[in-house]
Amino acid sequence: MTRFDPRGRVNRALLVGVSTYDFTEPPHGVPGDLPAVKHNLDRLRDTLARGGVFAADQITVERSPSLDDFDRALRTAAEEAEGLLLLYFAGHGAIPSAGDELFLQMRNASVIAGGHAVFPGAEMFTTVLTWLASSPAERIVVILDCCFAGNAAWIWEHFRDKRRVLLLMSVQANHRTDAGDGGTPTPFTGELLHLLDAPGELGFRDVSDALRKRMTEGRHETLRKEPWTPQSRAEHDEDVLLSAREGVRLTRPGPGVVRPPQQPPHVPPGGPLTARLRRLPGVLRAARRLAWTTVLLSLTATGLGVYGLIGLVGGSADCAPPLELRVLTDPDLEATVGAAADAYLTSEANTTGDGCRRSGITVYSAGSADAVTALRRESAAWHEPRDEDLNPQRDIGPQPDVWIPASRADVARVTTGQDTDALARLEPDDRALAYSPIVLAVPAKLAATSLDERVGGPLTGMLDALRERHEDAEVRRPDPEFADAALLATIGLYGTGADPGRVEQQLAPPGPPSPTAADLLCALPDDDAVDHRTAALVPEFLMKSGVGCDRTTRSPRTAQYPGDVPGLEPVFVRVRWEGADRDRAARDEAAEDFRAWLAGEGGRAAFGAAGFRAATGDRALLEPDEAAEGILPAPSLLIESAGRDAMETALRKYRDARGPGRVLFLLDSSGSMAGLWQGPSGGPGLLKQSLDGLGGRDEYGVWAVAETEDRSYETLLPFGPHSRRSAEAAIDAGARVRDAEADPYAALVAALDDMAERGADDDRPQLIVHITDDEDTGRLTGARLDDLLSRARLTNVPITMVSLANGGCAAGKPDALIAVASGGRCLDADDELGTGLSAEVARTGTGEQ
Amino acid sequence: MIRRLAVLLAVLLLAGCTGGGDGTRAAPTADVPGDIVVAGGRDVTGKNGIRQQLIDAWNRQQEQDGTGYRARLVELPGSADEQRSQLLGALQSGSAAYDVVILDVTWVPEFAAASLVRPLPDEVLDADVIESVADTARWDDRVYAVPFNSDVGLLYYRRDHLRDGGVQRTDLSGGLDWRELEAMADSLDENPPDGYEKGWTTQLAAYEGRTVNAVEAFASAVPDLALTDADGHYAATVDELTDGIAELRRRTQAPYLLKDAVHSDEAATLGDFADGRTAFLRHWPYAYRTLHQSLTEEQLGVAPLPGRAVLGGQNLAVTAASPRPAKALELIRYLTGKESERCLLDAGFAATRASAYTDDAVRCTAPAAAPSPSGESTDRMPRDTAGRPAYARRILLPALRDAVHRPRTALYGAFTQTFTTQLGTLFSDRPPGDAALAEALDTALKRALPD
Repeated sequence: MTRFDPRGRVNRALLVGVSTYDFTEPPHGVPGDLPAVKHNLDRLRDTLARGGVFAADQITVERSPSLDDFDRALRTAAEEAEGLLLLYFAGHGAIPSAGDELFLQMRNASVIAGGHAVFPGAEMFTTVLTWLASSPAERIVVILDCCFAGNAAWIWEHFRDKRRVLLLMSVQANHRTDAGDGGTPTPFTGELLHLLDAPGELGFRDVSDALRKRMTEGRHETLRKEPWTPQSRAEHDEDVLLSAREGVRLTRPGPGVVRPPQQPPHVPPGGPLTARLRRLPGVLRAARRLAWTTVLLSLTATGLGVYGLIGLVGGSADCAPPLELRVLTDPDLEATVGAAADAYLTSEANTTGDGCRRSGITVYSAGSADAVTALRRESAAWHEPRDEDLNPQRDIGPQPDVWIPASRADVARVTTGQDTDALARLEPDDRALAYSPIVLAVPAKLAATSLDERVGGPLTGMLDALRERHEDAEVRRPDPEFADAALLATIGLYGTGADPGRVEQQLAPPGPPSPTAADLLCALPDDDAVDHRTAALVPEFLMKSGVGCDRTTRSPRTAQYPGDVPGLEPVFVRVRWEGADRDRAARDEAAEDFRAWLAGEGGRAAFGAAGFRAATGDRALLEPDEAAEGILPAPSLLIESAGRDAMETALRKYRDARGPGRVLFLLDSSGSMAGLWQGPSGGPGLLKQSLDGLGGRDEYGVWAVAETEDRSYETLLPFGPHSRRSAEAAIDAGARVRDAEADPYAALVAALDDMAERGADDDRPQLIVHITDDEDTGRLTGARLDDLLSRARLTNVPITMVSLANGGCAAGKPDALIAVASGGRCLDADDELGTGLSAEVARTGTGEQ
Repeated sequence: MIRRLAVLLAVLLLAGCTGGGDGTRAAPTADVPGDIVVAGGRDVTGKNGIRQQLIDAWNRQQEQDGTGYRARLVELPGSADEQRSQLLGALQSGSAAYDVVILDVTWVPEFAAASLVRPLPDEVLDADVIESVADTARWDDRVYAVPFNSDVGLLYYRRDHLRDGGVQRTDLSGGLDWRELEAMADSLDENPPDGYEKGWTTQLAAYEGRTVNAVEAFASAVPDLALTDADGHYAATVDELTDGIAELRRRTQAPYLLKDAVHSDEAATLGDFADGRTAFLRHWPYAYRTLHQSLTEEQLGVAPLPGRAVLGGQNLAVTAASPRPAKALELIRYLTGKESERCLLDAGFAATRASAYTDDAVRCTAPAAAPSPSGESTDRMPRDTAGRPAYARRILLPALRDAVHRPRTALYGAFTQTFTTQLGTLFSDRPPGDAALAEALDTALKRALPD
């Protein structure tokens, strides 16, 4: 640390205070005069003159200058200074919108709509900084006492010549402050004066730190009723001596002090100051605030133009609506992170002195493979969806400010191979928030009994042993595409060179797996026999918090701990979006506050209550006194964290497990589809969205279902492998509503025959998708329906029925019956059709790789 | 970058300064032709994509006129909580650019107070907009939004179940009270139809649906209850809360309520009712169209909700950051005009204008979506002679006019989260007493909505 000592140099201090404004009436005026600023100037000039750094003739005072006068004075000071150049400004500050450039408003300032003349009579801080940097001065100190002063910080950060510049700002970005009583200096300058009045040497850093402390202790608040916190910016090793009054030295010198202190006696930092600083009378401040609020309301009510104000002004609740944090997490973690967020929202940490919430939080989840893909290569579409087929805002969810994946490896999965022009940037925390191993939750009666068998060893060995002990034992694992826990379990399942195809065949039951581990644990007790014979691969924490459904009737389970399955290690990742600058500082702060809380006691309690373990050390249970039945308190877990490659490989193998797939789409093109044709939710739109799940090795085709003279369908896209682009082009070119009815019976029978033939020689996954408005289900009754159902049962090709009508999948409806008979799913307009269909197709295909 | 610059220059979000002035507001600069991005919940096919159709129609007009403007609908997730989160987060931070946002009625105060949407001229709410509905678009004496489609709680019932259960009265369109409903459920218990389990079901999972149902119970039990005052401050008493909780408990007690309701949302309750597990269902107007897809007029009826019903719906607002606010407002005027509202009503939404229900001269011609060439139609909704859904004028319009608001506060997110969480204990294994729960709720609401 070097502290520049300007004593004896050619220094200049330019003190600018605008207390009187020419225009203070709506619509173009500034909010009013600032009598307090007069006091600032007089007192500051006197104080600096006594400080021993500036000679009296090195201090220039500009009282309520016009913009021209200000510029002239600024240029002069900049040209003349050789040692220290100090600029002090007190007056109105304005910003075009939150997070934007700061404008310092001079006497002739006005506010005019339109064009480039947004703030005539005001100087952009960037311009000020540029003028200052043109000075030969060795160091430049800028002190701003105005609303939004903190908005200067990012300008400094992006300023090329910032090394010479030390910046002190009265308040954090995007915050307004009140000027205090007209009979005294403004609150910030008042505190500054008291500091500078103290004897001894005082550097920029001393002043900045002490000011922050004083403003905090004085419980000063911004107009948003948040703690008023002065800000400072300087390169980390830069400091400048600002005052060296004769008397007692205030602080010890830093190691790099350019000139030794003249007055050695030592006094602990802060000691004499604390006693001397006074507080602004609270009542007075409150009264001022009230008065100003009245002014604001009257301004708002004039109704000129349509632009609002930053913060809650003129609103009626006293707490401003809080900043909203969007928190995306893994589906298996949603309940836990949601509970943590609920606790945080009402915690002290998230509450201001007035009892207002600092942030609001919404926790949501999306399929983990989809979330990784969207962050890796769809961030532009997430930022601005332009194509109805690719809209992560709809299909994944809000653009997250925070992402809490279940494993840190997910971050690497995103950043390795991320688009170079990605619009979302990830900043992961260093350590995980908690830990939970993946366990084989075995019905207690079937479980291994010895500790050796329960802990360690490969997962496949555990499964073999289980099947050996009980030949009718079954094993289920949730969907590895959807949640990390299932993907991690899959690493173990394929781990010892097992053939993925065989492994998948052994998992019960055939058909779509449960989306999440919690879903799986809830589905098992639906059938007692299944519950009693089925082991589930789930994260250990759900043995505590995932067994709420059918609690009394479910089969008790024992956890076995495979030695080759990495555990869940949720990690906090800040996600920054291109263009999201309007409230950057405040958003950063809100995210950091939540992170700190999650990483601290609050998060520990939430993860502990859910059944998690500590992320480090011997990974002890966070809530050992309330451990779940069937788990081991200390199973000596020696598992390494999941690796990016291991997860990617397992996912690829899973998708490939049954080879590339075949999908035949039947698109109802009868006349009644006219109203259900356009847009992403229309028939062709849904179909095209689902192509995402099909890659170059998959084969698929599309039939347009509408009766012609001799056929029940026309081929829109011939069966075979396609690039997505060419497939979409063919659909766009050929898909149209026909002036005809559809015969779903004939079309589905033909589709079953076609697919049976294609699948005769291999066991590649196949799927028929029927997208319809159900208008013609009247032709699917009686004997025709019975015949179709029996063919569907025999053919063993699942049919996903997509009904664009509501209630199409109600019990007993033909769509529901066909889906069940074929082993497929029925989706109707009460479901999230796009997501549901895409998931079905993705399960069949191998996807883009 | 150009767009951002335009935003910076055009959006004069002036804030005044030291001294607390907040400054003046400036008129918009001339709009820049380009896309007008409309962000909101899914264009649900079940509603025939009418929103998209209206936007398409507007775009055709712009194209004809060569204005260079084009409206583009960006669909957000299905969950309202996620929609709100994205709209708030994006408008606060600038992570996405929207010109027009579709806001649930309860979000208007929050978006207005945070200056994320712009004040609009008062005259956008003309006398044709149903008064209770128009109120959802105002905050702090200014207009910030225009109602797009409304919503209100209704009672659907299975005529076939009532008949099979020996209930004489199978037309309840004249209305009924909870005692009568319970009496019918008792009768059904004695002669249960096939598949019948309990009297009614509703949305009580831990989300907005629980708040809606609770507010309906509270407002029914305490006449003129105001949980918040006009300024959005918490204004209820423990006694009022106690009465409200008692009513909610009575409505949701085991003999009458389907057990699954406690974990159910709109879709789940719709399915259970359609499957015949209950005779009654509390739901929104769109269920009228949905349920008629699978139930006939002989099976299905709709009545005003006993007691008070909550007003819902979505409003359109212009974002503060839009570089083309004038054109955005023009689009909104089109989407909420008389003809568009009639289109929305015909498609199954609750229209926001009285004329849609009462003026036969107002017809829906705008979408001009290719009419079904074969004359087929998926529409199974009963309609009146003027082509409206049959229940619209007699049941829906009066229900909208008589509906109650949920608390109007800029801190609605905190309110509903608190309300939902606290009342959840009522459906737990060991529910607290009315007074104890009221005390806890009172404390929590005071904290969520500090003075």
